[in-house]
Amino acid sequence: MKNKYIFGAFIIVVFLGFMVYLFTQSNIKYESNFAKVMNENKIVRATGTWVKDKNYVIDRNNQTFTFYITDSNGNQMKVIYDGMMPNNFESAKSVVVTGQYKDGYFHASSILTKCPSKYEGQNTPDVKTSNL
Amino acid sequence: MNTKAYALYKKDFNSELRTRYAVNSLAMFIIVAISVILFSIGNEKISQSLTGGLFWVVIFFSAMSGLSRVFVSEEERGTSLALHLVAAPSTIFSGKLLFNVILVFCMNIIIAFLYSMLFEAFIIRNFSLFAVSFILGNIGLAVASTIIAAIISKAGAKGTLYPVLSFPILLPLILTSVQLTLLANQGAGFGDAKFELAIVFCYDVIILTGSYMLFDFVWKD
Repeated sequence: MKNKYIFGAFIIVVFLGFMVYLFTQSNIKYESNFAKVMNENKIVRATGTWVKDKNYVIDRNNQTFTFYITDSNGNQMKVIYDGMMPNNFESAKSVVVTGQYKDGYFHASSILTKCPSKYEGQNTPDVKTSNL
Repeated sequence: MNTKAYALYKKDFNSELRTRYAVNSLAMFIIVAISVILFSIGNEKISQSLTGGLFWVVIFFSAMSGLSRVFVSEEERGTSLALHLVAAPSTIFSGKLLFNVILVFCMNIIIAFLYSMLFEAFIIRNFSLFAVSFILGNIGLAVASTIIAAIISKAGAKGTLYPVLSFPILLPLILTSVQLTLLANQGAGFGDAKFELAIVFCYDVIILTGSYMLFDFVWKD
């Protein structure tokens, strides 16, 4: 009788640990290769940088914001975001868009901007300690 | 032991045929919920992700309305003491579980059928993935609702206690099943859904072992 509970508790603990591990695996993945994003048609977080040379469109009637982002390999992708341009978008170093690629563009439901740090060191010439 | 469990299931099935309490409350709930959703949508097009969520909302609440009958009816008719005499706790749980599994499967097949008929956005593109996730999800739902029904059957405010107690226990199952339904409707393959399927399978194993272990204590007065 005692064995039954020990055995049961063992099964529960093992599977609970397995389940917690799986929960951490099944979240939306980050993807920095746009070729993969375009082929897979899954919901991903695509990380890239904004192409400032290409035109961006803010459609006030439909509340959409269209722009182009590029990854490190130079693949460019058109992104349509349901909403207005985020405040710190222009100064962002890189952007993370969450959504899905279909019909020739990336439909984003949210944008995360990665801003340059306030506390970044300025490019001052190295002060050399001179041995006088 | 198995014949006794089957006899218990037969008894529940026959009394259900006579009173039709659980079947009626389930059918009424499904019809009311789906028609309210249909009316409120109107001509608007709703997205696929929304229909997947709405599908499990209807399943959750209809489960809450009908599945507690297995143990509550024994308490109300005062027959639970007789059950104590005739069979071991695990046998009783098996019989009740068998009844609830069949009820859950009938209910969810009807809901899935109605959804695919009535909602344009609810298209099952990968049927085998949908079937596997549906079967695993239904087993988890049936086991969890049976053990919770046993726990609440002795309490006073059964009607409110049941959904309140079920919600946290069913939450991981419902969340993962919503994801799985969405994936199946988008036409994803088994490879994309392997983590979710494994989560639901683990949930089923945990809840099944847990309920067989705990039922001895729940049933002992």
